[in-house]
Amino acid sequence: MPLRQKVVFLAIALLLLMVIVELVRRRRMRVEYSWVWIASGVITILLILRYDMLIALTTFVGAAIPTSTLFFLCILYLAVLCLNYSVRLSTLTREVKELAQELALLRLEHGRGDTDRPV
Amino acid sequence: MSARVLIVIPAWNEARNLEPVIGELRRVRPADDIIVVDDGSTDDTAAVARRLGVPVLELPLHLGYGGALQGGVKWGLRRGYPVVVTFDGDGQHDPQDVSALVQAVEAGADLVIGSRITAPGSYRGSVLRQGGRWLFGALARAITGLPLTDPTSGLKALGPRAQTLFALARFPDRFPDADALVLVQRARLRVEERPAHMRPSRNAHSMHDGRAVAYTFNMLFSLLAAAVGRQADLRR
Repeated sequence: MPLRQKVVFLAIALLLLMVIVELVRRRRMRVEYSWVWIASGVITILLILRYDMLIALTTFVGAAIPTSTLFFLCILYLAVLCLNYSVRLSTLTREVKELAQELALLRLEHGRGDTDRPV
Repeated sequence: MSARVLIVIPAWNEARNLEPVIGELRRVRPADDIIVVDDGSTDDTAAVARRLGVPVLELPLHLGYGGALQGGVKWGLRRGYPVVVTFDGDGQHDPQDVSALVQAVEAGADLVIGSRITAPGSYRGSVLRQGGRWLFGALARAITGLPLTDPTSGLKALGPRAQTLFALARFPDRFPDADALVLVQRARLRVEERPAHMRPSRNAHSMHDGRAVAYTFNMLFSLLAAAVGRQADLRR
């Protein structure tokens, strides 16, 4: 990989890492979500510094050129991430439903909206 | 609490229909308690129900038919009603049919469904709806082995065991129809059917209406999930 490319990509990867750390520091992102992003930043940096690892990986999966290995990994990574979000969304949907019902039940039980006895 | 039966009416923007529906219910079933579940309506559904003197379970947001129904069932469960009847707010059910369902529960059934198929002279709905009903009926029969003709009916009577099942957090909460029946069967509940007359809905929209194709696919997946999912905790 040409030096110029290396420098540009390294800068981008480092910037990404800084943004993640800053988001966690300002409590804009929960720590449990951050490790995935930190891991992806670190892996990016690793692949930039050690291009031979990418080539070895390409040989291992049987791809023709390192670029396609990279794209394949990226897409796989995004797909897994989406799957993870779907699971989290499902959980949240269920939790919101339960909370909404509970709120309505409590409100009715404690008088607000309760006409007590049907006429 | 004196009433033995709680009638749950899930209502989403049913302000226009509640008065006749509740009026008729009160005439035919004067001893029963009624609760309206206001499913995040944007009209004055809750106000109309209160004016009629009916308690309102007011959901802070729109959950959809299943979520609203479940809220009402939870109320019945917590108040210890032996029978909870679910009754649509759009006027398509006939209060006269309720007593047969309630009697079946009191005779030992856990869940009794008001079937529009077995009722003579009942309104049937569009061809598409009939086709869907037939499909889900056939699937539910095939999966559960129960002789049910109309699993998508909104008129049901629930005994305590069915109430507990319907109140589970992960109970199908979009449209608890055929998929719900699969869970009911896997929980080994006693399910029966009674004829119920269906009238045309007073609404153009009604809760089961709308994107029929999306609904069909959702229901198919939901059926599969109910059939193959891990449900060991259903039996106790």
